[in-house]
Amino acid sequence: MMPVEFSVIAMSVMAAWALGSLLGIPAKRYAVLRFPAYGIMIAGTLLLGWFIAAYWIALERPPLRTLGETRLWYAALIPVVGFLVEYRWKIAWLKYYCMALASFFLAINLAHPEVFDKALMPALQSVWFIPHVVVYLVGYVLLAASSAAAWHNIISGFRSRPELIGYSISHYLALLGFVLLTFGLVFGALWAKEAWGHYWTWDPKETWAFISWMAYLGYMHLSAIRTEKNRLQWYLAVSFLVLLVCWFGVNYLPSAQNSVHSYQSG
Amino acid sequence: MREDVKGWLGGERNFRLASAVTVLAVLAGFTIQYALGGEGLPMLFWPLNALFILVLAALLFLLGTAFRQNAFVSWLGGIPLGLSLIFALVFLSLIGGFVQQGVASGDAVLDRLGMNRIFSGWPFLFVVLLFLCNLGLSVVWKTIPFRISNLQFMLFHGGFWIALACGLAGASDLQRLIIPVYEGRASSQGFIPQENRMVQLPFSVYLDDFSIEEYTPRIVLYDPENDRVLTGKAEGTAEVGKGFRSEWPGFSVTVLDYLPNALPGPDGTPRQADEKHGIPYARVRIAAGEIHSDHWLNTGSPSIKPGVVQIERYFLVMFPGTPRVFRSGVVLKGSGGSSTAAELEVNKPVSFEGWKLYQMGYDEKAGRWSELSLIEAVRDPWLPVVYFGFFMIMAGNALFFWKGMKQGEIL
Repeated sequence: MMPVEFSVIAMSVMAAWALGSLLGIPAKRYAVLRFPAYGIMIAGTLLLGWFIAAYWIALERPPLRTLGETRLWYAALIPVVGFLVEYRWKIAWLKYYCMALASFFLAINLAHPEVFDKALMPALQSVWFIPHVVVYLVGYVLLAASSAAAWHNIISGFRSRPELIGYSISHYLALLGFVLLTFGLVFGALWAKEAWGHYWTWDPKETWAFISWMAYLGYMHLSAIRTEKNRLQWYLAVSFLVLLVCWFGVNYLPSAQNSVHSYQSG
Repeated sequence: MREDVKGWLGGERNFRLASAVTVLAVLAGFTIQYALGGEGLPMLFWPLNALFILVLAALLFLLGTAFRQNAFVSWLGGIPLGLSLIFALVFLSLIGGFVQQGVASGDAVLDRLGMNRIFSGWPFLFVVLLFLCNLGLSVVWKTIPFRISNLQFMLFHGGFWIALACGLAGASDLQRLIIPVYEGRASSQGFIPQENRMVQLPFSVYLDDFSIEEYTPRIVLYDPENDRVLTGKAEGTAEVGKGFRSEWPGFSVTVLDYLPNALPGPDGTPRQADEKHGIPYARVRIAAGEIHSDHWLNTGSPSIKPGVVQIERYFLVMFPGTPRVFRSGVVLKGSGGSSTAAELEVNKPVSFEGWKLYQMGYDEKAGRWSELSLIEAVRDPWLPVVYFGFFMIMAGNALFFWKGMKQGEIL
């Protein structure tokens, strides 16, 4: 049984992020406000984390099956990347982009509430389920943050010369994201062999996963030959759109009519 | 071999040549595809495909070692061509990602160009061949002379080469057959859907028992006029069981008693039964304001009429839950007379005499009463080599992660 309505949680989380971000403006001047600003933002994320845990317990299975469920994780984790980057590298701006992206995904879930359904179909009952989905999820989160950083670099590039550290952030997030994307792809192939009899069948989702992987593989090589930094930012910003198609868009494409990756209920 | 390049293609002959050659390869592929009337690729079967790969590998090794200084060879194995080919693969995959594969699109020109089977067409072949040359040469250069610092590169690129080359060349030796088999019967015939024909298998499958376990049923309101299902407002994820309550405009339904496996007794009231034969029954109270009435609902079976309640122009019905597990208890008999009993489930294939057997499906119309089980038999002699490539990629990836993290410290 759901402890609380999702809409209440989602609204509270977004309100906490918004309030914390707004408090961040005067907090630049008045150091006394810094603690409450961070506290409120982090409380929002913690609340969402608590909701996922409660949801997991209520469903009696990890809430990782439907797109709506993965969006929940995404919304919880991407601000965490922002906070960690700030903690490690003292870059404050990334978290705002991350919270904006996360709010966007919460808003999608608010607009399309799903029927809560405990059923986990046999194809998904596997030891590969959690590693495959979690690795991809974290990979997507990092690449989303990378693209957010890239957009920031592009925008600040219009006004002035962006800081060098901004380039490093988008680069290292992409690098980490690519590592996870590779693991996700190979795990997926190994699982597909167990579940469907073959490791690669060019199913639409597989095709798009391959396209996104190749796109970031392209980034690795463009960066290895020292392509001009600003062009790389555009490349990263756009690559993430391909990833979004792979994640959310595939189900709506005509090519996916017979996809084995459609797990949407009803 | 690092060169400073201004822009992606600008001012660099290598890049211009690489993109020109790549575009030509794609165009040539489509031209040949069209000229041959949309014919697919001629397939190389064992041992010719293995021979082809060995010759290609030997050739690349020779080129990479003996002609390393040659301008053409260094272009062929360079990053500019690699990047162009990556983009060409993305381009071809995008076609495969947008156009539904494996079915005729209805557009004669598109089909003749092979758009609906892009991954087995000539353009894909040409690009992959060039890609294998490019990737292979880079691996040779990083491997000879051997340096431990290049290990990550070798594992990742070498693994990719092996998986790609062997996965594609070995695809012709892959056998995937569907064995339909009924309870209490044996079959040694497999069906190939792509070729629409049956073939004889070197073993037989006897289906002892096929069973399905279902999730708990759902209680919904059915609107026969519009063939619509109206889900009530229940609290959260609460599933049907004693105490379950759901509301529709004007009335509510409460489950007073729930029997997951039951059969009607002599007087018609359901009694507890075994899992195999019993069906879910629920005693429900339908209440509208002060008025209420109690009824039995059941999901129905081939011999029992579903128990439903008519409410005005709607029906309150209990739908069976979706399948949680389906499994086939089989006995496998090999050509040599060996015999093994096994249980097949989704995600739990069984290996038998070089084949892997998968629980694939059943008669979905009959649901849990299906006596038919569809079993897939797969034989892929190239699998170990491809997996070797996969594990090399993962090892390289893990090293990359480690190195990347360490480099991250420079921030």
